[in-house]
Amino acid sequence: MEAIIPHLIAQNIWQLPEANRTVYATLVVLGAFVLVLGLIPVLQALPPRGRRAIVVTVTFLAGLLFAAEFFLPVDWRAIFPKDDPTRNFLTPAIQPAQNVLQTIGALALGLGTYGLVRLHLRNVVQRRTQWGYSVVLLIAFLTMATFSIANTLAERQLLKLEGTPQRVLERGFTILFDYTLVQLDAAMFSLIAFYIFSAAYRAFRIRSIEASILMFTAMVVMIGVVPLGAYISYQLLGLPQGPAPEGAGLGTQILHSIDLPDIANWILFTLNAPAQRAIEFGVGIGGLAMAIRLWLSLERGVT
Amino acid sequence: MQPQTIWQRMLSIDRRWLYAILFVNIVVFLLSPVRLRAPISPPVQKFYDEIESLRPGDLVMISSNWSASTLAENQPQLEAVLKHLMRKGVHFTFISIEAQSRDISLRLAKRLTEEAGYEYGKQWAHFGFVPNLIVAIKGMVNDLPATIKQDVTGTPIQQLPVTKGVKSLKDYKMVIDITPSGTVPIWISYSPKEVRILYCPTSVMAAEAYTYLDSGQVKGMITGAKGAQEYEQLLGITGLGAPFANAISFSHVLIIFFILLGNFALLMQRLHERREG
Repeated sequence: MEAIIPHLIAQNIWQLPEANRTVYATLVVLGAFVLVLGLIPVLQALPPRGRRAIVVTVTFLAGLLFAAEFFLPVDWRAIFPKDDPTRNFLTPAIQPAQNVLQTIGALALGLGTYGLVRLHLRNVVQRRTQWGYSVVLLIAFLTMATFSIANTLAERQLLKLEGTPQRVLERGFTILFDYTLVQLDAAMFSLIAFYIFSAAYRAFRIRSIEASILMFTAMVVMIGVVPLGAYISYQLLGLPQGPAPEGAGLGTQILHSIDLPDIANWILFTLNAPAQRAIEFGVGIGGLAMAIRLWLSLERGVT
Repeated sequence: MQPQTIWQRMLSIDRRWLYAILFVNIVVFLLSPVRLRAPISPPVQKFYDEIESLRPGDLVMISSNWSASTLAENQPQLEAVLKHLMRKGVHFTFISIEAQSRDISLRLAKRLTEEAGYEYGKQWAHFGFVPNLIVAIKGMVNDLPATIKQDVTGTPIQQLPVTKGVKSLKDYKMVIDITPSGTVPIWISYSPKEVRILYCPTSVMAAEAYTYLDSGQVKGMITGAKGAQEYEQLLGITGLGAPFANAISFSHVLIIFFILLGNFALLMQRLHERREG
C-alpha cells in the first residue's frame, strides 16, 4: 500500500491518462451516469434517516476536500518523495472537483429554464388567468433562444451559413439583442430613478437629529461627488483647489479642505470605509458560521 | 370639507408630476451641450496611474459582469478603460459570469477593437460565460487552460497567440472587475496576490469598496458614469461618461431640492395646524 499511493500520486490519479483518453472519458461518463441512475432508486427506497445520512456524508466529504486542500501544508515529500513540493497531494483533485461544480452550476440554468417553460406551458394549456402573457413569454423565449444558439454556433464555426441566411441571422440577433433585450432591460432598471425620486420627496423627513445628520451627509456626498460640487466650490465660491502648500497658515489649510469634493472624499474614506469594514467583518463571521452549518448539515431543510 | 392648504397640496402632489419633472431634467441635461468639468478623484487617478504603469504586451483580465440594466454606468467605464488599454498596447482577455454580459461585452469590444485596429486572438480574446466565479478563479489560478479550455470562437486558448504560454492567472498583470455586483471581494480572496485588482462598480456599490481601496487590495476605482467622465478627461477623449454624469449631476440637485421642499412643506403645514389650533 505504501508503494502504491506515491505511485498513483506521481501518475496524477485525478486526471485521465493521455493514451486512449476518449475511451476512458466515455467510461467515466457512463459510469457516473449508471451510478446516478442507480442511486436514485436506492435513495427513494431508503427511509428518510438513511437518505439523510447519505446526503450528509457526501456534503461533508465534498466540503472536506476543499478545506483539507487549503489547510494542508504544500510540501509532502517526506511521505511521498515524488510529490510536487509546490502543492499538496490533494491539489490535483481540485480542478476536476471544480469542473463538477461548474457543471452543476450550468445544470441549474437548464433546470431553471425547464421550470419556467413548464409553468407557462401549463398556464397556456389550462387557460389560466392571464395566459396570454405566458404565450408572449414562450414565443419570446423560443425566438431569442433560437437566434442566440444559432449565433453562438456560428461564432464557434459549428454552423456555417453564407449569403442571405447569414445576414438574416446577424440582423435578427442584432434586432433581438441590441435593439430589444438590451433596451428593455435598461429601461426597466432606469424606472428605479423615478421611484427613488418620488420616495425621497415623500419619505425623507427630518424628524430627529440622526435623520438631520444623515440627510446633511447624504447631500454633501451627492453634490460633492458629481461635477456640480466642484463647480460650486471652485467657480462659484472661489475656493482653492488641491492640497494646501507646505507651511501654509491655518486659514489657508481650512480653505483648501472645505471644498465639497474634498469633504465628500473625506466622508467616504474616513467615515464610510471603517463603517463598511465593520459591516463586512460581521457579514464575514456570519458567512463563516453559515458555511460551517451547511457543511455539517446542521442547517434546517438541507436534506 | 375644508379646502386643502398649499402645503397639503404640495405634500400630496401626484407622483406623475414628479416623474415628469425628473424626466425633463434628465433629457435636458443629457442633451445639453453644457458640460461641467469634473475634478479627478483619488481612486480614478490611481486607476489611471496603474494602467499607465503597464507595458505593451502585458496581459490584463477584464471581468465584465454587467447587463443592460446598468449599461448607463458600466458601458462608459468599459469603453474608457478599453481605449486606455489599447492606447498602451496592452493585451487583454474577457471573462463574464453574467450570461447577458458575455454578448454585450463581446459586441462592444469588437466594435472598439476594430476602430483601434486591435486583432482578435492576437491582442485580445473573450473567454465567454462561466457559471461560477469562485470556481472559475480558483481554477484559473491552478490551471487556466484547463479551466477555460476554449474562447468564444471555440479555439483552444493555448492556440491563441494572446494567451500562448499562459498557465495561470499569475501570468496576468492585472484584473479589472467591471460589475454592479459585489464580486470584487471574490477576486481579492482568490486571485494571486501579485495580480493587481482594479474595480469599476456602479455608484451604489462604490461605498463598499472604499475599505479595499484604503487597504490597498483594490488599486484604483472608477465609480459609475461620473468616474467614467473623470477617466475620459484624463484620457482627453469624449465618450458617454460626460453626458451621463451631467444628467446624474443635475438629477442629484433636483432630488436634494425636492427633499428640502418636502421638508419645508411639512414644517409649514405643522405651523399652519398649530396656528389654526
